Amino acid sequence: MKALDFARWLCSGMLVGALALAAALPARAHRVTVFAWVEGDTVRTESRFSGGKAVNEGVVVVYDEQDRELLRGKTDENGEFSFEAPARTALKVVLEAGMGHKGEWIVPAEELAGVQAEAEEAPGPASPSPGRMEEGPSAKSEPEGATPTASLDAREIQSAMEKALDKKLAPVLKMLAEARREQGPSARDVFGGIGYILGLVGLGSYVHYRKKSGAPPS
Amino acid sequence: MHISEGVLSAPVLASGAALAAAGTAIGLKKLDYDRVPQAGVLAAAFFVASLVHVPLGPSSVHLILNGLVGLLLGWVAFPAILVALVLQAVFFQFGGITTLGVNTLVMAMPAVMCYGVFGPWVYGESRFAMPAAFAAGFLSVFLGALVVGGALFFTHEDFWRVSAAVVAAHLPVMVVEGLITCSCVAFLKKVQPAMLPGYST
Repeated sequence: MKALDFARWLCSGMLVGALALAAALPARAHRVTVFAWVEGDTVRTESRFSGGKAVNEGVVVVYDEQDRELLRGKTDENGEFSFEAPARTALKVVLEAGMGHKGEWIVPAEELAGVQAEAEEAPGPASPSPGRMEEGPSAKSEPEGATPTASLDAREIQSAMEKALDKKLAPVLKMLAEARREQGPSARDVFGGIGYILGLVGLGSYVHYRKKSGAPPS
Repeated sequence: MHISEGVLSAPVLASGAALAAAGTAIGLKKLDYDRVPQAGVLAAAFFVASLVHVPLGPSSVHLILNGLVGLLLGWVAFPAILVALVLQAVFFQFGGITTLGVNTLVMAMPAVMCYGVFGPWVYGESRFAMPAAFAAGFLSVFLGALVVGGALFFTHEDFWRVSAAVVAAHLPVMVVEGLITCSCVAFLKKVQPAMLPGYST
């Protein structure tokens, strides 16, 4: 192949790459992420293909620290799935979106510890019941015992505060989730990759010409 | 098409890696120097193509271009696709490092098969050249879906269900790939026939 051909080659390749890139900018990537956070005694999960499309009917499996399966459920059309924290340990939330797509998220034990301690102290409405798995946000168990007539002892104040904090922090946690969800690959990644490939081609040329040193470039 | 880490069992990963290594070795042996720039450009095109999203699908699907890579490179598709997949895994977190072998197989094996079956038709002057190019683009994705189904079957999932799901999800991509392969081949035949393996000397 002549040098001119080679140059024409590279130019057309660059053009193809640039065109593809232009078409790609609003595009979505090909992987899934799952994010889980604790709200009250409920663990909420959100699953998306990166780029923002929700995973519908994805299977969410929850494991404890020893990799024992605790429960499983399916995401709704918003990619969400909530369950009541079944154990006090760290939880591993694994999403299987089918066709070889998989993502996971770890809920650290500290995030659950306070909630569970409180739940154990005040059995009744707030106690975890693994039977009720797929419930919406409205079904979140409220402390029915907190009637106006009850005296406000320390525990109730604490529980009320935690409830209020959970409520106030929920949007923040959601924002964090949005921020942590990686946006698709950036232009830097794309050009970096193309650069690597061109570099490999250059390396190939280098080795080739070094082998027949002295011979002029064909 | 990219299988994530932690989905497949170790034997499947190992045999995928072994087969991909064999294919890559054959490809590197067949790669003469004149084809290195071409392989590089096509690897770059393959690398970027995965970002071109086809919005028709029910799931998240993108262009693959393995049919085109296969038609233009033959066995060299293996090393070219392997390089592009390494970069996709590192930069985009598509697939993963452990599944590299299987993913290479998923995309490169159909490419080589289509090269073998449709190549002679495509490079020739007969009126079947364009349909053959379309079929190469279409079927290389289809066969890739079957390889995905096979890989998942040996791990735990049901072969027919997975294959059907992958094929259904990629149907729009198959058609688009067929058309792209078709138009690329037609363009190259007119403008730069030296790029097609049949003409290379």
